[in-house]
Amino acid sequence: MNCRECKEHLYEYLDRELTPAVEQEIRQHIADCPPCGEEFDFEKLFLGFLRARCRAQGAPPDLKRRILDELLDE
Amino acid sequence: MTPPTPPTPPPPAPSPAAEADKRASFEREALVHLDSLYRVALRLTGNPAEADDLVQETMLKAYRAWHQFERGTNAKGWLLTILRHAFINEYRRRTRHPETVDIDAIEPFSVFEELQDDDPQGTFFDRIVDDEVLRAIDLLPEQFRETVVLSDVEGMSYEEIARILEVPVGTVKSRLFRARRLLQQKLYDYAVGMGYIKGSAK
Repeated sequence: MNCRECKEHLYEYLDRELTPAVEQEIRQHIADCPPCGEEFDFEKLFLGFLRARCRAQGAPPDLKRRILDELLDE
Repeated sequence: MTPPTPPTPPPPAPSPAAEADKRASFEREALVHLDSLYRVALRLTGNPAEADDLVQETMLKAYRAWHQFERGTNAKGWLLTILRHAFINEYRRRTRHPETVDIDAIEPFSVFEELQDDDPQGTFFDRIVDDEVLRAIDLLPEQFRETVVLSDVEGMSYEEIARILEVPVGTVKSRLFRARRLLQQKLYDYAVGMGYIKGSAK
């Protein structure tokens, strides 16, 4: 696999959406090719950052209670 | 003389025990996804009060249709589909305007390449706070915003996202690619503006 092909699968690889065979080819390429390795590391960091920043927020504490009350009236 | 016809019996009301069972299974399998529904609702409506209403309405609709939910399948996907339909039908017109995006007009920008001389490890991300990231997501076109939220915030697979958004998996992939690059660009511009990184003269 060359760099271009590898980068075409960048997000699919990080999202674990590839078949094990293709995933293995990419793992091999980024281990052998430092520029691709760095780019994949950067994108992985970015996705981890996004997730961490956005998951802190949850539903307001009383929303579940209000929904349960509503279901009781059904 | 004809005998009087017997009165038709009223339809049987569900027994209190059956109702209690239904509520218990709904609480166990559906209400556990409340935080996810709320986060998605908030990003779709852009407003906590509307998100609250949208989630309540979604849960009520889901409860009424609970007998149609196929046990053992993905309840989160099912609930998010109901939520999205409710949003499109009742909220979108009131809150934000649906945008149609010319996807090809968006030039994917590689922040990684921009950062080569300055911060190749992307340490500037550490200095960007939650609110700034959420604001950047809220500025994305709706099609991108919902795809990114389902993937990067809720961790759903391409296939689950495709089912919820009713688009092909290939569309999910291309939206995700462009949405993430757009987000990177917004956050990069923000970081340059704040002086976290130098930035190049583009």
